[in-house]
Amino acid sequence: MEPWGVGMSLLAEAGAYVSWGPIQISVTNLVIVGLMVLVFLAALVVPFGREHDSRGPR
Amino acid sequence: MTGPSQPVEDRSWTVRLRSWIGRLVPPGQALPDRQPVYVASWIYVFGVLTLAGFVVVVATGCVLAIGGTTWWHVSALGHFVNSLHLWSTELFFAFMVIHLWGKFFMAAWRGKRALTWMTGAVAFVGSIGTAFTGYLSQSNFDSQWISTQAKDGLNAVGIGAWFNVLDPGQMLTWHIALLPLVVGVLAVWHVVLVRRHGVVPPIDAVAPVDAGPPVDAGPPDGSVVDPGDVVRAG
Repeated sequence: MEPWGVGMSLLAEAGAYVSWGPIQISVTNLVIVGLMVLVFLAALVVPFGREHDSRGPR
Repeated sequence: MTGPSQPVEDRSWTVRLRSWIGRLVPPGQALPDRQPVYVASWIYVFGVLTLAGFVVVVATGCVLAIGGTTWWHVSALGHFVNSLHLWSTELFFAFMVIHLWGKFFMAAWRGKRALTWMTGAVAFVGSIGTAFTGYLSQSNFDSQWISTQAKDGLNAVGIGAWFNVLDPGQMLTWHIALLPLVVGVLAVWHVVLVRRHGVVPPIDAVAPVDAGPPVDAGPPDGSVVDPGDVVRAG
């Protein structure tokens, strides 16, 4: 394969991007950020389930 | 300043250092087995998850250092360890960012915790630099691409002569020695400060008075936890 052929092949595998004005982010990174936000929100609302001990600190 | 009337052991730097270390955190707070009740929330887990990720990053990085930067190209074990290093880094950053979000919306710099916040923020920035030099040390086309893209920006701000991203040797030594040392020292400092001042309470709660560390100023606002309420930490 010619060198420019390799370059075109690599470009073809560059992946999908989302553009919004000056902001550009890959779909992969956008999904990861979305998952992190979901984990953050879940951490705020999901019960911890720790057994409660109200005898006071030792 | 020490005077001639002071005992010899008080003038010893080892005694003074031992005394300083002993006063770093309140008694019983270095490895506490109980925490205030509001700590029983998943949002309080992400700090220690970040620490766990950091330990795995450093451990796998040490193994990679034994084999060298090209080991993972020619060895299945090297490839596996390299993948562990990458994914533990990904988790380290994901946990750290969620920890940052939680502490930001909690205004975690309250109650004389400004230095705790600052050491965490600087450790975050240092971690970004460590990860960046790691991407430059992959010894593949990806590292070549990133370095050639980064050089113009770094040259434009005038630091290219001292921090040359096209020098893989310099980037590797920064990645495996200088920056991990900085991040490690900041992480230890950060954890000591957390143990010294206690975990920050939620905005609508006050910390137990008898838990040891200093607490937020201000009276209870009616939505407080029972000062005696604690949960086992482990």
